Amino acid sequence: MTGRLGGRPLVPAYLSTGGVARPSRPHLERLTVLTRDGSALPAGLPAAELALMELLSGGALTVVEAAALLRLPFSAVRVLAADLVDRDLVQTRAPIPPAERFDPDLLKRVADGLRALKHR
Amino acid sequence: MIELPELVAGGLAAGTLSALALGGSLLRSRRQKAALRAEVTELRDRLESAEGAFISEIEHLAARRMPAAAAQLAHPHLRVPGPIRQNTPGTPIGIALEYVLTALREELTAQRVRIDAAAQAGLRGATREIQAALYRLQDALRGLEQRYDDPELAQTLFALDHENEQSLRRAQVAAVVCGAWVGLAREESHVVDAVTGGQARLAGYHRVRVHNHLEPGTALVSHAVEPAAIIVAELLDNALRHSAPDTDVIVNLEHVHHGVCVTVDDAGLGMTQDERARAQRLVAGSNPILLTDLGDPPRMGLAAIGQLTRQFDLSVDVSSPSPYGGVRAVLRVDSHLLGRIDPQERPPSASAPRSTRERAARREPGREPAGSGTPTAEPPAPAAPVPAPQPVPKPAPAPAPVAPVPAAAGHGAEHERAAAPGHPETSDLGGLPQRRRRTRTDASGLPQPPSAVRRPEEAAAALAALQYGTAAARTPKRASAPDPQRTDDEGGAAR
Repeated sequence: MTGRLGGRPLVPAYLSTGGVARPSRPHLERLTVLTRDGSALPAGLPAAELALMELLSGGALTVVEAAALLRLPFSAVRVLAADLVDRDLVQTRAPIPPAERFDPDLLKRVADGLRALKHR
Repeated sequence: MIELPELVAGGLAAGTLSALALGGSLLRSRRQKAALRAEVTELRDRLESAEGAFISEIEHLAARRMPAAAAQLAHPHLRVPGPIRQNTPGTPIGIALEYVLTALREELTAQRVRIDAAAQAGLRGATREIQAALYRLQDALRGLEQRYDDPELAQTLFALDHENEQSLRRAQVAAVVCGAWVGLAREESHVVDAVTGGQARLAGYHRVRVHNHLEPGTALVSHAVEPAAIIVAELLDNALRHSAPDTDVIVNLEHVHHGVCVTVDDAGLGMTQDERARAQRLVAGSNPILLTDLGDPPRMGLAAIGQLTRQFDLSVDVSSPSPYGGVRAVLRVDSHLLGRIDPQERPPSASAPRSTRERAARREPGREPAGSGTPTAEPPAPAAPVPAPQPVPKPAPAPAPVAPVPAAAGHGAEHERAAAPGHPETSDLGGLPQRRRRTRTDASGLPQPPSAVRRPEEAAAALAALQYGTAAARTPKRASAPDPQRTDDEGGAAR
């Protein structure tokens, strides 16, 4: 979406959270969906949290998507998101669990059975 | 008989006469000799005293004046003592002695420059290697930051990254002082990014408050980015070092007539007149830098700034005291080092403070439709752009219409900034007098609403396209050889 910045980033990631990498809430995962309601922003939000809020004003995003858009590592965005959740500015939804994968063994046996039927 | 006494008398007379004459001349010659002897002894005395004076002058020269002249080169406030005798200066001896001192000074200066150049070359080589190694370490750390999620590990990685940035700054500054290139080519970047990047290189970066009053998209040309970041980092380091740990260091980014100014204010002790003059001399970069002048341990920050201002045509001023009580340092970047980046296409980094102008531009279009009844039916409409229904428990901070003064910027600015971007979509194209703002309203207002609705779909479409593309790229390779088998397989499964 945004053009990849060539070279090394000028502003290191730790600045976005003030050097904190331990989120205040442990339950945020890469695919946790973040949404914000339309309420106004309180005063004194750090720049990076403000950027995240602005990003979310366009619609819901997973943490990892927000990280990609903000060009920050996931661990930093997780801290930002946890802080915003603490302030009741952002709501989270647990990631949709990935569908159960088919057992390849079973599929193979079914295919074999069908083939056997066909050749009979 | 008579004749004899006459003869005798005559002889006696003649003898007496000649004796008289001889006696007179003898007396005279004796007197002359005495006078000559006196003159000789006097001359000898004078010679001896002159020789003594000469020797003592030379001894004085060797013991006192030459060491003082040598020391004066390193410490200009030292005074070289004059000759012992008051009347020596001006005499040939005095002039010759001055020649000795002058020659000594010249030769010592030349030696000093030569030795310093050798030391600088050595240091330059070493720091260059260290800098390159630290960049590689930074790459490794950032790779790890991206890859691992564990909070404890991430915390350690952040701490290591910060330590690494600080070491990098030291190495880089030492290299720059020794006349090396800054060591990193960057692409054109936002001014606020360079300032924030400089801030991140310091131990006390928490204490720095950056207020960005620049037009969004104001950027530095590529070769000025890293020098500006170094200069800001060094100015901030000075400010942080010389102010109490519970005070903030305020940075303001503003447009001036010929470019952009970065003002760094600290609330510390300030500098004395002498210190300020010395700092200004170093920062101006007009004199060549000698490592031996920088003290032990060398104070390289200001010297590095001096090198950079000279090389990159930047200007730094530290000559004025800050209204906060400490030092005010101003970095001025002239227009020819500035460019423009489209902030929509390449936004500044997430940690960089938003521009107050961006906020003003967004707020004003928001206010106008509020009077005429918001025409755009946006989902977050309840978050009306009117500042009245803010559920903030703060005691009604008057929405100051003017750009906040740096002194009062602390909370007012944060508040205003926070109030606006929550509802940027409500922008209307309605008549704003200023062309520039209207175009930005176009830019920020129009693309935003569609993306607000479509973003998840867009994301889905993009991912699907990616998946489809990958699949399409993979299949023909496999399908080329075992094609018939595969179709048969599929056919079999379908039936």
